[in-house]
Amino acid sequence: MNAADMKILIVDDFSTMRRIVRNLLKEIGYANADEAEDGQAALKMLRAGSFDFVVSDLNMPNMDGFELLRQIRADEKLKALPVLLVTAEARKEDIVTAAQIGASGYIVKPFTKATLEEKFGKILQKLAPQAA
Amino acid sequence: MTQTSMAAETDMEALFDRVASERARAPEAPKAVALAPAPAPSPATPAAGAESDPFDVFQRVGSITRKLHDALRELGYDQAIDQAVSSLPDTRARLTYIATLTGKAAERTLNAVEQGKAVQESVRADATRLAADWERLYSSQVSADEFRQLGQKTRAFLAGLPARTEQTDAQLLEIMMAQDFHDLTGQTVQRIAKIVQFLEEQLVKLLIDSTPPERRTQLKEEFLTGPVIDPTRSDVVSSQGQVDNLLESLGF
Repeated sequence: MNAADMKILIVDDFSTMRRIVRNLLKEIGYANADEAEDGQAALKMLRAGSFDFVVSDLNMPNMDGFELLRQIRADEKLKALPVLLVTAEARKEDIVTAAQIGASGYIVKPFTKATLEEKFGKILQKLAPQAA
Repeated sequence: MTQTSMAAETDMEALFDRVASERARAPEAPKAVALAPAPAPSPATPAAGAESDPFDVFQRVGSITRKLHDALRELGYDQAIDQAVSSLPDTRARLTYIATLTGKAAERTLNAVEQGKAVQESVRADATRLAADWERLYSSQVSADEFRQLGQKTRAFLAGLPARTEQTDAQLLEIMMAQDFHDLTGQTVQRIAKIVQFLEEQLVKLLIDSTPPERRTQLKEEFLTGPVIDPTRSDVVSSQGQVDNLLESLGF
């Protein structure tokens, strides 16, 4: 599928951040995006809809990014979903945890359009061989 | 970005890639990496230890708690908060960080606005001049040469227009990106609020525990029984109203 069709879920408890990510995604060619304000809401949407990519913040109330990722990887329907985690601080333990529980990539805030594009590219490249 | 932070980022990148590929090769359930939980508050011991007069401690703790409680209610960076906060170097650093970040964001936004406006202004000026030239052409007789020249000028203007609108677009994007401060400062503010609230909770707990026996009768029933002094519960008093009642009942 091409970039324009990919349905992305943006998860962050700050609406400002969600808007910024949404606009940046549009800039790099992904115009089909939805938003959720925490892990719990995100899971509901993921299970109900057909998303192709998740961009999620770490620190959120109700269910944080790590727990959301664990739930996604444990769900039969969702486990192969690419998940890009967004962290405010590049702490070693966070990076290690992210990789260990199956994040497809991570990006540190504040990030630029170029960085986002690069991370997306890397993740999609890794997926390509398995794409139907 | 500084040289050191770029190097650090590459290290982080490498670390992530390494752990991720290890996981891909050995996909058994990874050991749960427990994120360091907040340290469990140690049970407050009444100041009956050493030589310090327990009632003096009780007095001081009570008045500090009252101050902090009022400060929380006022929700401002006034004197009271500043005094409570000045004893927490980490919190002070975080507040400075917020001020710096919002200041930088404002500057970045204004710069982008100014640059964007400059581009818009020059486009407007050029377009106005061209339009005037065309008006003159249509209202009077012009030579073929002048017509050709105006055509050239117009072609040039149109050819250069996309680049200029892209410049403005870039400034608008820059303004949007400058709003990222809200996310970072918002998180920091939440963290500080948590620290301050935790402090109040601990002081309240200490206050209750250090209440001398002769004063215990002043404590309303609800603070001696029930969830407040239950060590298995993490919330000591759940509402500001309860803290108010507690402080009042002890004469603070």
